[in-house]
Amino acid sequence: MPTDLTTYLGPLVLRNPVLTASGTFGFGEEYAEFEDLNRLGGVMVKGTTLHPREGNPAPRITETPAGMLNAIGLQNPGVDAVIAHKLPFLSRFSTAVIVNISGESIEDYVEIARRLETASRDSADHPSPIRVDALELNISCPNVKVGGMAFGVDPILTRELVAAVRAETRLPLITKLSPNVTDIVQMAEAAVEGGTDILSLINTLLGMSIDVARRRPVLANKTGGLSGPAIRPVAVRMVWQVAEALDTPILGMGGIMSARDALELILAGASAVAIGTANFVEPQAAVRIVEDLQKWCEAEGVASLRELVGAAHSK
Amino acid sequence: MTSQQAPVTRCDRVAPGHHLLELDCPAIATTARPGQFVHVRVTGTFDPLLRRPISLLLCDKHRGHIQILVRTVGRGTDVLGHVAPGNVLDLMGPLGNGFPLPEAGQTPLLVAGGVGVAPLVFLADVLQNSPEGSYVRGLFGARNEDSLVCWEEFAGRCEEFQAVTEDGSVGEQGIVTEYLPAQLDRGDVGVVYTCGPRPMMAQVGRICEAAGVQCWASLEQFMGCGIGACLGCAIATHTDPPNQRVCKDGPVFDARTVDWEKTL
Repeated sequence: MPTDLTTYLGPLVLRNPVLTASGTFGFGEEYAEFEDLNRLGGVMVKGTTLHPREGNPAPRITETPAGMLNAIGLQNPGVDAVIAHKLPFLSRFSTAVIVNISGESIEDYVEIARRLETASRDSADHPSPIRVDALELNISCPNVKVGGMAFGVDPILTRELVAAVRAETRLPLITKLSPNVTDIVQMAEAAVEGGTDILSLINTLLGMSIDVARRRPVLANKTGGLSGPAIRPVAVRMVWQVAEALDTPILGMGGIMSARDALELILAGASAVAIGTANFVEPQAAVRIVEDLQKWCEAEGVASLRELVGAAHSK
Repeated sequence: MTSQQAPVTRCDRVAPGHHLLELDCPAIATTARPGQFVHVRVTGTFDPLLRRPISLLLCDKHRGHIQILVRTVGRGTDVLGHVAPGNVLDLMGPLGNGFPLPEAGQTPLLVAGGVGVAPLVFLADVLQNSPEGSYVRGLFGARNEDSLVCWEEFAGRCEEFQAVTEDGSVGEQGIVTEYLPAQLDRGDVGVVYTCGPRPMMAQVGRICEAAGVQCWASLEQFMGCGIGACLGCAIATHTDPPNQRVCKDGPVFDARTVDWEKTL
């Protein structure tokens, strides 16, 4: 019997538990010619800010053992251009559209959330051309000087920020946590106290690479965010720790390259997973993972993927 | 544009640190334009992790083969340069915009530096074999004879060809940009195409701009996705937005639009 992959992620109902992580999938357009976006549980679009951002100077990425460092710096055309020119394309697909938002102040986040909710609301005689199924609050970008990770490493700021956005919108809220903290559970608790519906973890790990020949940092930004299979054990550990402490639904991510990797995070406590760096290596990675998850579950006689969520815990 | 498995039919060392790979890949061979590239997965494992963007050196539409020139700069290109024939590589391509072809009656001058010759060999091949048969002129500079890689492939596709090496081991002694003004002074060059080290291309762009000649430059940048999604390969330009993606908006840019000061 086919396994039911339907996923309940807080208030979100997804076709399956596989999404694409913000920053690794553009606004969906680039990948649409490689795979059928309708096959995905959801697409989390590029980090969106109130005003356009140019991003950081080049070089912006470099490779590390089984991983990569990036310091893109949230280059994006700003929320109004995203609403007008980017989201209509993605909204034509039947996959969940989740907009990752980032700001330099709490007011920025609130304003972006307000504009996205307003633009996605259908009026009596005009259905909106865009759909926004949830917002992901990026409080953990390590590559911007103002805002970004500054929010995500301070539990008081995290709680305030989430609460401020929560008060502004009825859209489901996902808070993306930074792994660059001593106590991930403390940050997760702060986001839950602020009213987040879902926790997203993990964002990239702050890292650095030095060009020995030039005796200089490789990245123009000097430091960057480490992603790829190299960070998966950290993601598994943090999902596990948060799942032990809280009942809030978790969207797990960090170096997932295969269905087996996705299952690690699901068994650790993630209700759904997001595919990031794997998209660069293989543009069809997310769809392949959906297919392989289905096959694995059926071979194992799993009736519903939901029964695997957190199953590695002894509780 | 496709993603596919391409058997390697040939892998030869053509110069120290340079390998020429031939792959059986009809879908790319029949559709690619000069200046486009393939994004090559190095191994089936995740270390090295990311694909490597490599220019197309030649495409044989009839045999369905493509050729790429790989210069060893790190672990990934080292692995690629030692792939045995019979092995299969995972390719995405053709990617990028490619060179705009000359307008009718324009004489093209192709200015190459080192391994940057690769896309210009393909361009020379297409121009030479075009119905109108462009009169192609080539200028190729490198450090020494060893770095003048694939010069025969390039020279053989140009009606006029000049080689320049820094040590004088082949052709004239010096750097290509010293010999470019004389080429332009002849007054018949309508468009310049260049690929090579960035300082060279910046100077080629400046000389062309001063001479009022259109110049197209093919840039290289470390890439993540290769299809425009990750924004990892951005370069500074004078256009809007100021950071353009080498993989999608390029790799070929109007040299005047590149902010060379910021990209060097």
